[in-house]
Amino acid sequence: MSMLSRVAERLYWMSRYLERAEDTARIVSAYNHLIMDIPKGAEPGWYIMVQILDAQPHFEQRFRSVNEQNVLKLLVADANAPCSIPYAVKMIRENVRTTRDVLPEEIWELVNELSLFAQENASNSVGRRNRHAFLAEVISRCQTINGLLLSSLTRDHAHSFTKLGRLLECADMATRMIDVGAGDIGERSERFSTVDPLLWGALLQGLSAESAYRREVGPIVDRPAVVDFVFLAPGFPRSVKFCIREIRNELAKLSGSEEALKVVSRLNRRLNRLNKKEMTQAELHPFIDEFQVQLNNLHVAIQDTWFRVDGQ
Amino acid sequence: MDTSWKDYQSDGFFDESITANGNPRLAASRAINFLKSLSGPELAERRRAAELAVREMGISFTVYSEGANIDRAWPFDFIPRVITGREWSQLSRGLLQRMRALNCFIDDVYNGQKILADGVVPAEIVLESSNFLSSCAGVSPRFGVWAHICGSDVVRDHLGQFFVLEDNLRVPSGVSYMIENREITKRVLPELFENYSILPVDDYPLKLYETLAALSPRPRRRPNIVVLTPGIYNSAYFEHAYLAQGMGAELVEGVDLFVGDDDCVYMRTVDGPARVDVIYRRINEDFMDPEAFRADSVLGVPGLIRSWRAGRVAIANAPGAGVADDKVIYAFVPQMIQYYLKEKPLVKNVPTYLCMRDKDREYVLDNLDKLVVKPANESGGYGIMVGPHSSAQTHKKFAKLIEKDPRNYIAQPTLSLSTAPTYVDGAIAPRHLDLRPFILQGKDAWVTPGGLTRVAMKEGSLVVNSSQGGGSKDTWIVESKS
Repeated sequence: MSMLSRVAERLYWMSRYLERAEDTARIVSAYNHLIMDIPKGAEPGWYIMVQILDAQPHFEQRFRSVNEQNVLKLLVADANAPCSIPYAVKMIRENVRTTRDVLPEEIWELVNELSLFAQENASNSVGRRNRHAFLAEVISRCQTINGLLLSSLTRDHAHSFTKLGRLLECADMATRMIDVGAGDIGERSERFSTVDPLLWGALLQGLSAESAYRREVGPIVDRPAVVDFVFLAPGFPRSVKFCIREIRNELAKLSGSEEALKVVSRLNRRLNRLNKKEMTQAELHPFIDEFQVQLNNLHVAIQDTWFRVDGQ
Repeated sequence: MDTSWKDYQSDGFFDESITANGNPRLAASRAINFLKSLSGPELAERRRAAELAVREMGISFTVYSEGANIDRAWPFDFIPRVITGREWSQLSRGLLQRMRALNCFIDDVYNGQKILADGVVPAEIVLESSNFLSSCAGVSPRFGVWAHICGSDVVRDHLGQFFVLEDNLRVPSGVSYMIENREITKRVLPELFENYSILPVDDYPLKLYETLAALSPRPRRRPNIVVLTPGIYNSAYFEHAYLAQGMGAELVEGVDLFVGDDDCVYMRTVDGPARVDVIYRRINEDFMDPEAFRADSVLGVPGLIRSWRAGRVAIANAPGAGVADDKVIYAFVPQMIQYYLKEKPLVKNVPTYLCMRDKDREYVLDNLDKLVVKPANESGGYGIMVGPHSSAQTHKKFAKLIEKDPRNYIAQPTLSLSTAPTYVDGAIAPRHLDLRPFILQGKDAWVTPGGLTRVAMKEGSLVVNSSQGGGSKDTWIVESKS
C-alpha cells in the first residue's frame, strides 16, 4: 500500500529527531567524561557543544555567561529550545502520535515512556550527579526504539522514509562534530599537545565510533586518521560515506528520486576529493561547510519530491 | 479498608454489584470478594498501577482550554462493572432492533417519506430540521443502511431496568477507550481473569473493518479504507488513530484527499494519487464538503458529496444520517419499530416530553424543578439543565429558551441512575454510571459485548462526560452459569 505524503514527512522527522536526541545525549555524555580526565585550564570550553548543535542564538537569548550550568540547562533541560534533548523527544512523540497507525504497536508505548522519562527527569539532570544516568537512559531508550524499527518495521515506504531521516541526521551530526571539534582541538593543541588524543577520543566516543576506530585503524588517535575514519570508513554505519551510500540505496527504491539522486552524486564527488589528499585545518572547514549545504539540498529535494505533492 | 466495604451503601439506587443488604451480586461476587481481600495499601497500589498503565499506553483525550489543546490522561477507575450474560443478550437484541428501525427511517425520509405521509412522525419536525440534508434525497446506499456505526447511551433505573437515553448516529466516539480499559484491567487485576469467563471486546476493529469493506464500490479483496479525521486538535484524535491502526487503514485529513475529474476520491501518496473506496468519516457532515455544505470548511474535501452520490465512494456514516440523531426524533423510535418492523420494542425509551406540543410544554414549564431539559440537537452534555440540581434562576432562563424555540427542547424525568463501587480518595464508594454500547450495521449487524462505561466521580453527580470530570470503567459481560 502506498503511503500518504503527510505521513511520510512525519515519519522522516520522527526519525531525524530520534537520531538527534540520541546523538545530542552522546555528545554531552562524551564531553562530560572528557572534562574529568583533563587538567584544569586545558579543557575546551563548554560552549563547543552549543556550537556543534548550532544552538548559539538560543543560548545567547537565554544566558549571559557561558558556563557548565547554563550550557547543560539549555541542552538537557530546556524543552522549548530546538537544540535540546527534551525538545527532540517531544517532537518524536508528536510525530509518532500522528503516524502510529503505520508503525509497530510497541513503538507508541516506548515513545511514551521515553517522553515521560524525559519530562520527569530532565530538569534534575543538569547537575553532575544525575547527568550521566539521565543521558545513558535517553541513549538506551532511543536505541531500543531504533532496534524495534529495525526488527519489526515492514520494508515498505514507512521504512524508507524512516531510514532516510535517520541517515541524513547522522551524516549531518558527524560532519558538524568534526568541523567544530577539529577547529577547537587545532587551536589548543599548540599549547597542550599531550591532551590531544583525549580530545579526539572523546569526539569518537560522541559518535559511538571509539572501538570501531581502534579495530580498524589502531589505538593511535590523531586528526588525519579520525577525519578520514569519520568521513570515509566504508563499513562503519555512522561514517558519512556509509550514510550517503545507504541513502542512495534507499532513494533508488522510490519512484521519482532523480532530483535527490543528483544531490547524492554531488555529495559523493566531494567525498572522493577528501579521499585524494589530506586536508589542512584551513582547508577542512570550507570543505565541510559546502558539504553541509549539499546535505541540506538533499533534504530539500526529498521534501519537494515526496512531501509536497500537489494532487492532480 | 474492610470498613469501607462494610459501610458501602447506595441508598435509593440500584447498585450493580452490591445488593441492598450489602452482599455482592452473584455475577460480581468473585471480583468483589477478591477486592475485599486486598488491604488499603494494596488497593492504592492497584490504583497506581492503573494510572501508570494509562500513561505508558499513552491513552489520552484532548480538552480545549483557553485556546490551547491539552492532551490529558484518560480517567479510569480500576474496579470493573459486571453485567450478566442474560441481561446483556436481552439488551443487545433491543439495540439491534433500534438500529434496524432507525436505518429504515433514514432511508424512508430520503426516499419516499412514507412514515411522514402516514403521519406516524410529524413531517415538519423532519423536513424543517437542520439535520435533514436535501442534497441526500434519492440516494440509496448499499443494504439500505445510512448509519453504519451507532453509539447508544444506556442507563439503568432504580429497579435495574435498561433504558436507551439517546442514539448517537453522527460520529459517536469512545470505542477505543472501551478496548483500552480492558487492556488496563488485564494488567492491573490479572488474578480475576483466571476464574471469570468475560466476553472479549478487542475484535471491534475487525468487525468495523468487515462492515466498512462490504461497502466498497469496487469489488476488491482489500478495498482502500481511510479514516477521515479533523486532525490532531480534535478531542477524539487518539481514537481515530487507534481505529486506523486496528484496521490497517490509512488515517487521513481533508488535505490528503481530492476528488478527480472522474468523480472518484483519491489520496495523495508518495507514489502519486491512489483511489479511495470507503471513507470512515469522523468529521461532522457540515464540514465534509465545502461544495455541498459549509463553504468555509477547511477540514473537508470539495466534491466529496458529488462522488458519494455518483456511487464512486462509500461514506460511513452516510451524509444525512444525522437526521435521526435528534432528541425529538428519538421520542418516536418506539413508533418506528412498530411501523417498519412490526415488532414490539425490546428496550425502553425514557419517557420524553416534546416542548413543541402544547400540552407537553405546559407540563414541562410547570415542573422544571423535577425534569431534565435538553436541547434537541446538542451532544457532549452541553446545554442541559438538570432541574433538581439547578437554581430558580436557571429554571427561569430555560423557561424563556423553551418558549422562544419549543421545537429545540425536550424534557425527561430525572432518572435514579444505577451505581457501582468506585475507588475514590482511598475508599470504596457508590457512583452513578451509564453505558455506551456500539452497534454496527452493514451487510450484517453486531453489538459490542458491553461498551464504554462512564462514571460520575463526584458524589451524587450524574455528569459522566470525560470533558467534565467523569471517569470510566471496564465493562464485563460474564457468562452466568446459574
